[in-house]
Amino acid sequence: MKTFATLCVAALMGGVVSQAQADDYPSRDITDVVTWSAGGGTDVSNRVVAAEMAKFLPVRINVVNKPGGVAGSIGMSYAHSQPADGYTLVGVADSNTTSAVMGGWDQTFKEWYPFLIGGSPDLISVTADSPYKTLTDLIEAAKANPGSVKASAGGSGSIHHINLLALEKGTGASFNFIPYPGSAPAQNAAMTGEVTAVVTSLAEQLQLLRAGKIRPLAMLVEDSVSVDGIGDIPSGFGDYPGLSEYLPIQQTLGIAIRSDAPDDVKATLSEAFGKAMETDAVKKWAEENFYVLSGKTGEEAQKEYLKLESVFSWALHDLGAAKIDPATLGIAKP
Amino acid sequence: MNFLSDFGVFGQTILSMLSDPLTVVLLMGSSFLGIVFGALPGLTATLGVALLTTLTYSMNLETALVSLISMYVGAVYGGSYPSILINIPGTAAAAATAMDGYPMARRGEGGRALGLTTTASFIGTIVGMLALVAFAPLISDAALQFTSYEFFLLAFFGIIISGTLTSKDLVYKGWIAGLLGLALACIGRDRLQFFPRFTFDQSQLDGGIEVVPVLIGAFALPQIIKTLRDRMSLGKPQDIKRMLPEFGAIVRNFKNIVRSALLGIGIGAVPGVGEDIAGWVSYGTAKNSHSNPENFGKGEPAGIIASETANNACIGGALIPLVTLGIPGSPPAVMLLGALMLHGLTPGPMISITNPNFLVQLTAIMVLASLAMWINGMFLAKHVVKVLRVPASVFLPIVAVMSVIGSYALGLSIFNLYLMVPVGIVAYLLGEMDYPISPLVIGVILGPMADENLRRALMVSEGSVAGFFERPVAVILIIAIVLTILSQLPAWQRAKGKIWAKLARRRTDAVEAGGGK
Repeated sequence: MKTFATLCVAALMGGVVSQAQADDYPSRDITDVVTWSAGGGTDVSNRVVAAEMAKFLPVRINVVNKPGGVAGSIGMSYAHSQPADGYTLVGVADSNTTSAVMGGWDQTFKEWYPFLIGGSPDLISVTADSPYKTLTDLIEAAKANPGSVKASAGGSGSIHHINLLALEKGTGASFNFIPYPGSAPAQNAAMTGEVTAVVTSLAEQLQLLRAGKIRPLAMLVEDSVSVDGIGDIPSGFGDYPGLSEYLPIQQTLGIAIRSDAPDDVKATLSEAFGKAMETDAVKKWAEENFYVLSGKTGEEAQKEYLKLESVFSWALHDLGAAKIDPATLGIAKP
Repeated sequence: MNFLSDFGVFGQTILSMLSDPLTVVLLMGSSFLGIVFGALPGLTATLGVALLTTLTYSMNLETALVSLISMYVGAVYGGSYPSILINIPGTAAAAATAMDGYPMARRGEGGRALGLTTTASFIGTIVGMLALVAFAPLISDAALQFTSYEFFLLAFFGIIISGTLTSKDLVYKGWIAGLLGLALACIGRDRLQFFPRFTFDQSQLDGGIEVVPVLIGAFALPQIIKTLRDRMSLGKPQDIKRMLPEFGAIVRNFKNIVRSALLGIGIGAVPGVGEDIAGWVSYGTAKNSHSNPENFGKGEPAGIIASETANNACIGGALIPLVTLGIPGSPPAVMLLGALMLHGLTPGPMISITNPNFLVQLTAIMVLASLAMWINGMFLAKHVVKVLRVPASVFLPIVAVMSVIGSYALGLSIFNLYLMVPVGIVAYLLGEMDYPISPLVIGVILGPMADENLRRALMVSEGSVAGFFERPVAVILIIAIVLTILSQLPAWQRAKGKIWAKLARRRTDAVEAGGGK
């Protein structure tokens, strides 16, 4: 009887304590597991934003890297195996959404509650001495003689490849796509003239554009962009309004927690994230590196990732690269 | 004027770093850690730089760079230790060093070999640094003219030349081993269209064959089996009486050093091609242009000097496109770029405006890193040689365990062990039949590059091979490949002998005729 009473008191106290802990979130340091290696876009954006978020929280956020697996699957599996208490965050990029169809893990992005940092917009550029001065020149040449213009865009199925495919659909042009293992070799190929055109992000092309090694033709987003030392890069949507049907599909870097985390944890983190995105440090970083900030959280942010997951998964499926049928994972067609 | 102010910054950077005890500790510590990373099979320069990138995030840029560059320089150098002492290269970059380093150690000249390696690595790093300061834009422009054609030919040249260098009896055996390596490299999903090749529906094979387990399996296992089987001792330990570098050997090899350093810088500057290829190509060139090529592979110091100068000169080379255009020239330089961006510094054409002192600081750090490597090396060489006193029956089982850990540590995958053991057994059997193993490993390393670029080149040209003969660098590489193959054929050697003899006769005739006048 006495034991029972003690147990009851203990249980009650335990309940109170755990309640208090939940209210106190966060009471210990938070770990942000970045699924890509140190120094990449996902890593740098996570470190910059996490450092600012910590200023609005009573604890620190330690950023660690767990790269590897298929499209960041090792880091995602690890973060997913931790308790849904908000003490483990995960740093993800758009390409993490391909992990499921590529056989990296057996979950979809519905598992994550994301905080969307943003990304650098894609643009199309050409070899510096190529005859094409505007997007119209290039598109008309590709239309007049389909497959005659060689274009690179990172690897098959990368976000840049999907942008190139969307450009083809939106303009009716047809390029000869030459695959490279990543953005850097794809850009080098445009520089040497092995391919004529290249689609990658502005942040990635910036140094080559400034050195005059490649010439920018058009942004693949609605707005034109002005860059120091290069000038205005017009939007491709002006000449080809049909593009708006397929674009923009933008790089999407973010931080996420498990979607089954408690609501108050989500609220606390959302608030800190929102404040961090408004700080000068984050804004300055974004401006210098030509990132477009988002700041979306929760369902709104999840919708963006699920859209990317659908576009990517089915594009990879159509390319014959996906190992797992997106339909079996419950990923809807775009 | 400009030069003077640059020199001022250079001196200032060095002085300010050396006056801070913490920086000095970090410099020596990172360099030492780098050597350890290089020396342990399975741990590489790339991995070391990646690891330190995370650890140095909170430091200021300059201190972080000291640590990262010292690690890079140390790791490229450290791979030569196990190459020389036990014939198991610590990294692929040091595989060519084993060719002559190990025979020297067997002869009781292990200490001398390590000393030469240390000095050659030091000179290589410094010459690479000089090229970075003096000719960065020029070299960067040339290296970035490499297209798929040249990448394919360079990879193919690497395989062909490694085949000729390492066969004891028949040159064809080297090439057969190289082609076996190429075939192994074809396993996995192809990188252009994701088509699964030789994967037998095993998902672990999808990503292709990892280089590290193959490297460890092919070099370490046969060596361990052979040594234990024959109850051999590892090598004769030697007392090092002289700690100073051999100035005589350096002066005699002046041409060799200059050529090796230039090859290293050039190969380093080409994006995606790194220290491993530099070591081989330089070794091959040194052998073919040496007056006694038959001494190579039997403990010829010139061979060690060639490969070690080149792989360290590669570092400066790899930094050239990184600094000028933000394009890293080698795998560890990719990690270095990441680290710089973490510190809010983006290398590229604007860097001379945004951070005017960056290049000078970088070179100052490289000088310090190579000094740290040299001091650590000279100190270590003396003690590391003592390893050879440990009985083989104790030491090699330890090496075996380390090899297993090294293979497993990469991606923590048990599948790497399933790969390492059969590769090791096949390599042992091939070795028993006098097939050289190095070309097989080089084939696995260069295979994906050769395969992917050949197919891409043909995609770009829509199936025409004319492109290979229209580009100057491609033509030079083709000539080099053809000459390398021809020079190994007995018929060609006989013909060459005859031509030389005829020429010599004519000359003597001419001299006699001249004398008769």
